[in-house]
Amino acid sequence: MECFSISGSCVSNLHFHFTENGHSQPPLFNSQFTAFSSLILSSNFPNYPYPFILFPLQTLLHLFLAYSKALERTQSSSFGYHFGLQEPLETELVTVPEATDQLAENLPSDSGVYAVFDSNSELQFVGISRNIAASVLAHRKSVPELCSSVKVGVVAEPDRTALTQAWKSWMEEHIKATGKVPSGNETGNTTWIRQAPKKKPDLRLTPGRHVQLTVPLEELIDRLVKENKVVAFIKGSRSAPLCGFSQRVVGILENQGVDYESVDVLDEEYNCGLRETLKKYSNWPTFPQIFVNGELVGGCDILTSMHENGELDGLFKK
Amino acid sequence: MGVTKEQVESSLTSKLSPSHLEVIDTSGGCGASFAIEIVSEQFVGKRLLERHRMVNAALEVEMKEIHALSIKKALTPDQWKQQQQSTPSA
Repeated sequence: MECFSISGSCVSNLHFHFTENGHSQPPLFNSQFTAFSSLILSSNFPNYPYPFILFPLQTLLHLFLAYSKALERTQSSSFGYHFGLQEPLETELVTVPEATDQLAENLPSDSGVYAVFDSNSELQFVGISRNIAASVLAHRKSVPELCSSVKVGVVAEPDRTALTQAWKSWMEEHIKATGKVPSGNETGNTTWIRQAPKKKPDLRLTPGRHVQLTVPLEELIDRLVKENKVVAFIKGSRSAPLCGFSQRVVGILENQGVDYESVDVLDEEYNCGLRETLKKYSNWPTFPQIFVNGELVGGCDILTSMHENGELDGLFKK
Repeated sequence: MGVTKEQVESSLTSKLSPSHLEVIDTSGGCGASFAIEIVSEQFVGKRLLERHRMVNAALEVEMKEIHALSIKKALTPDQWKQQQQSTPSA
């Protein structure tokens, strides 16, 4: 089962892996259009497995206009009912603030779609993100002159299909209004493609499964959480969290700009036995688990709550 | 496989005596994941971490089969009253 709620914790006694949602595409969409979505998705998912496909601009425009017409036709025939479209929770235009901490307050770190406007209120780019605030922050750092304001649409159950649908909906709306693709979404425009930043590697507790431990695992855990200011024990790695709760924790920590260590509790080669030992050590039954200054703060729910209450700044400054 | 919503409600009620309890099966009825909202006098003087621990402990048996647990609210009756007043529609 996919564990993809927005907040909460994952009970670790069930071993699972993220799998692609077996959602079949509605017959309306041809394979070429879906392939184009992969092009845009790749800007937010650096390791997205689909090939990078290029289309001539004329072909793109033709495809989008054809899509618009098809959508107009089907809208009268219970489109939403048949395909269960999720309406994103949309915001009005939000000015991109100068300070990083303000950005975290003004924008959600949820999954969804977003549109970036320049200082002339001209739409520059429509993107999909697992962490909207982090994506906008990254864009602002690389092309500040183009990031004056944003419009945000949070998708409540962010599976890949729902995100793609929301993105298509926003693109269609813009094309209908202007007859053209936003310049940032044009083929060949790499301005908005995130250059995968060198992520700090996850920590490993042992040199490998074959090595006999001379120190108990519990002592290794104790040493780890006390020698590092912030440690997040998550499912998966920080660059590829394997459940929605761990994803959210990574999003919040990245958003805070805090320096933290991550440990993959599902890594059976280097962290074998960690899950059971850590549950006893922390007296906390689920993952992720976040430690600050050697003490357990809690799981995803508590971190989310503190994030929303503005308590995280105080916590990390101690 | 799975835990029923009634089982979760029953365990929390008997161990924490909540004045308000809402349990939602977020796995579409197969009892694999739940979201919980709970109000109890027993949370008075306890910080959030301890409150969540109390809920986890109350569901110790069910936790073996629950895939994901989300504790949305763990409030004292006073906090709950405050929240109700600030959001009249809830």
